[in-house]
Amino acid sequence: MRYDAYMNAATTFRPPGSLPTAPLARYTGPWDVRLAAHLLRRAGFGGTLADRARFAANSMAVNVDALMNVGPANAGLPSPELIDTEYAGGELQRIRAMRMAETPAAPAGGDTALEVMRKMRGQMRRKQDVANVTWWLDRMIASTSPLQEKMTLFLHGNFATASNQKGIYGLDIIEQNQLMRSYALGNFVALTHAVARDRAMLKYLDNARSNRDHPNENFARELMELFTLGIGNYTEQDVRESARAFTGYTFQRRTGAFFMNERQHDDGRKTFLGKTGNFTGDDVIDIIFQQPASAALLARKLLEFFVYSDPEPQLVDDLAAVVRREKFELAPIMSTLLRSNVFYSERAYRALVKSPVEFVVGSYQLFGIEKTGPGVRDVLNRMGQVPFHPPSVKGWDGGASWLSTQTVLARENFASSLMTASSGAGGPLFEGLPPSAHVAAQRLVGTILLGDATPSATAKLAAYLDGGDTSLGGALSGENVDGRMRGAAYLTMAMPAYQLS
Amino acid sequence: MKRRGFIGALAGLSITAHANGVFAAALNKPPSMALPDLVASDRVLVVVNLQGGNDGLNTIVPHGMPAYYRYRPSIGIAPGDVLQIDRTIGFNPALASLKGMFDNGSVAIVQGAGYPAPDHSHFRSTEIWQTAAPEKYEHTGWLGRYLDESNLPETNLFNAVAVAPILPEVLASRRVDVPAIAGLGGYGLASDRNATQRSAFASLVRDDRVPFASPYLATVASIEDRAQRGSEELPKLVAGYKTSAAYPATAIGRSLALAAQMIGSNLGTRVIYVAHGSFDTHVAQRARQDVLLRGLGDALKAFYDDLAAHGNEKKTLTMTFSEFGRRVAENASRGTDHGTAAPMFLIGGGIKGGVYGEHPSLDALDNGDTRFTTDFRSVYATIVEKWFGRPSAGVIAGTYPTLPMLG
Repeated sequence: MRYDAYMNAATTFRPPGSLPTAPLARYTGPWDVRLAAHLLRRAGFGGTLADRARFAANSMAVNVDALMNVGPANAGLPSPELIDTEYAGGELQRIRAMRMAETPAAPAGGDTALEVMRKMRGQMRRKQDVANVTWWLDRMIASTSPLQEKMTLFLHGNFATASNQKGIYGLDIIEQNQLMRSYALGNFVALTHAVARDRAMLKYLDNARSNRDHPNENFARELMELFTLGIGNYTEQDVRESARAFTGYTFQRRTGAFFMNERQHDDGRKTFLGKTGNFTGDDVIDIIFQQPASAALLARKLLEFFVYSDPEPQLVDDLAAVVRREKFELAPIMSTLLRSNVFYSERAYRALVKSPVEFVVGSYQLFGIEKTGPGVRDVLNRMGQVPFHPPSVKGWDGGASWLSTQTVLARENFASSLMTASSGAGGPLFEGLPPSAHVAAQRLVGTILLGDATPSATAKLAAYLDGGDTSLGGALSGENVDGRMRGAAYLTMAMPAYQLS
Repeated sequence: MKRRGFIGALAGLSITAHANGVFAAALNKPPSMALPDLVASDRVLVVVNLQGGNDGLNTIVPHGMPAYYRYRPSIGIAPGDVLQIDRTIGFNPALASLKGMFDNGSVAIVQGAGYPAPDHSHFRSTEIWQTAAPEKYEHTGWLGRYLDESNLPETNLFNAVAVAPILPEVLASRRVDVPAIAGLGGYGLASDRNATQRSAFASLVRDDRVPFASPYLATVASIEDRAQRGSEELPKLVAGYKTSAAYPATAIGRSLALAAQMIGSNLGTRVIYVAHGSFDTHVAQRARQDVLLRGLGDALKAFYDDLAAHGNEKKTLTMTFSEFGRRVAENASRGTDHGTAAPMFLIGGGIKGGVYGEHPSLDALDNGDTRFTTDFRSVYATIVEKWFGRPSAGVIAGTYPTLPMLG
């Protein structure tokens, strides 16, 4: 009842017009650079100019085949720099040993040994967090399997887990991230089973501390509400019974490995979603995925992430049928979606707001900058999205919620810094003196916005390039071209079209 | 940002044609009551969102109810530690600052605030408290609807402000753009190219030759425009304000300091939102909640000292809310799971201090949860009618009795 009310509510930001006929049938229309860039933005982060040229030259089918052909999760790219190796006999273990042996005497006016070590540990954890975020961003920029990284980001939002809280540090979140990556185009049901045993998740939603006498409902609730079914598709009683089934799912304190603590597991009878038995947590997950709502929720989330906000109930139903038919295998589901009529429809074009991660990674790729720096974490924080730091277990709301006066200022300031930093943007865009300011403006609009600007906006850029509205004045010349082009590129990146995917 | 109203500002342009029927109908309807407020129009409401579900039983402690200690053998607050109000209830000792303000008569406690058929999801219950619509999925917040119903000057960029990086649903409105301002530092453009930029993207949106039809296009342009103009103006507008109040060096301290600065600078701001938390204390509750409550109380004390030093305490009413209280019985982790009703605080604004409503019974629980005794929409209706002096009809669906602490 409530679910239907939600689905039928008059909501905002669904694109104008109506659903194409056969929305999930294979797109056979014309192919051009704008659609190539659209595919790269949605299935990846936008790509480099070389990626764009290649995708424009190849057919849609060849491009999607290439995207689907992802390598092993750990291939080719470095692991994060490990500062805090909580479960690998590293610094923190050493500090623990020091703590065991410490003497409580404090030097006069100074910190006790314990305080010194606590500070060291805090610093290491913060450094590791920055290293983790930077590592993933760099990986998104450089990966030759952009869809793998994009799906990993999608799954991170679905099974949102936040680092540097609730005892989640260092390797905890990286191992979870590698788990998501290894299932990026794998089976969603199998991934859900693995997530229920994932150490970071066991910590984040307190299941590691749950026990048979006092089951903790946090994981059991969010598993259904956010990860798999959606609100309204289960009862409070189902939450309580599920929490019982998940008691005993914990991890070994010493190694961090998953551990089924039979002594704390409630193996009694439970009635869950209409079935009765001595269920374990894994039984609960299997029962969840027998519910039609599970395919519907995954379908709706995929559409909202990859196609457009607030997809029509009919479209959700159609994709849910594909999800069921493919038994939650993400590869064939994504293959269908990325080749579909609706994906390439005008209604889907620029119909999503770029997430901060898409905005930042896409900008680095566009201007050929291969590595971020530690400052990227703060930049993303000001924009409202730091990987490994979702605001809650609900993940990021996306859509209009990316946009506030505060976050758009942060986007514009990032674009400005990218254009003015000495180590910043390069590439053919800024080489040579264009024959006129108008040609220069068209080149910027073509490269950065795929031409998605009006003639009058392009004319305003040309006027800027020719000295209008600038403090220095003077027409575009060999002396001022670099600064003017970078300034105009920043203005182009501030335009609304660049905020949209 | 308002989620739909921007389209109205662009009426007649091509973009309007894309609005669906329901949407367009709502926008074409004039404000139902574009009346000025009936009372002094410089009044401000500050709402403090205690995010994550603040445990009400360890905030206002029912030390006179034996069941409280039975349900909470390890996290119950001993009677001797409670800052007693009477023989039944008292403040958590971490709220000593707030207790002082209560003793001065400037704090009203509303007991057992909740709603029928309570939802235990953070997200759904947060929506319910912010939209004041438990029965349906509403897209505007109750304070967004208040802004829509009020005749606020369209040219004012600061009719309401969320002191937050993103706009909370409570301020989602159809007609009024609400800026999100996390803090003065960093709220502005690093570049001096604003004028060109504003003019270029304005032309992009307003030109019907725009080569794509994104449902977000006009929203983006509107927010960018207001962000740029607002960030140029705000620092100048608040620069003259000086304070010597001792705010704690915490996020809530900084947020309330900025709120006092904006109120004292007379920007015409009617509603300010700040957030505090997370209060989601499933594990080791005492240590975490006490830190958060002490931070809240100390920041509110500094806020009202600051307001009073500038003569603004009478025109500033503060209301706290949280998506739910917590389960009566503690869990195995010395924490508490998601629950239902909990107390709210109303502070300042010449309020009649005291305790309103009944503490929920701990002997007649509903599946381990308390039953609410005051519908939170009564508190909202009281604020709309008695503080802002407007009928609550267009803001709160249904009729709820007002409480006697105001007016």
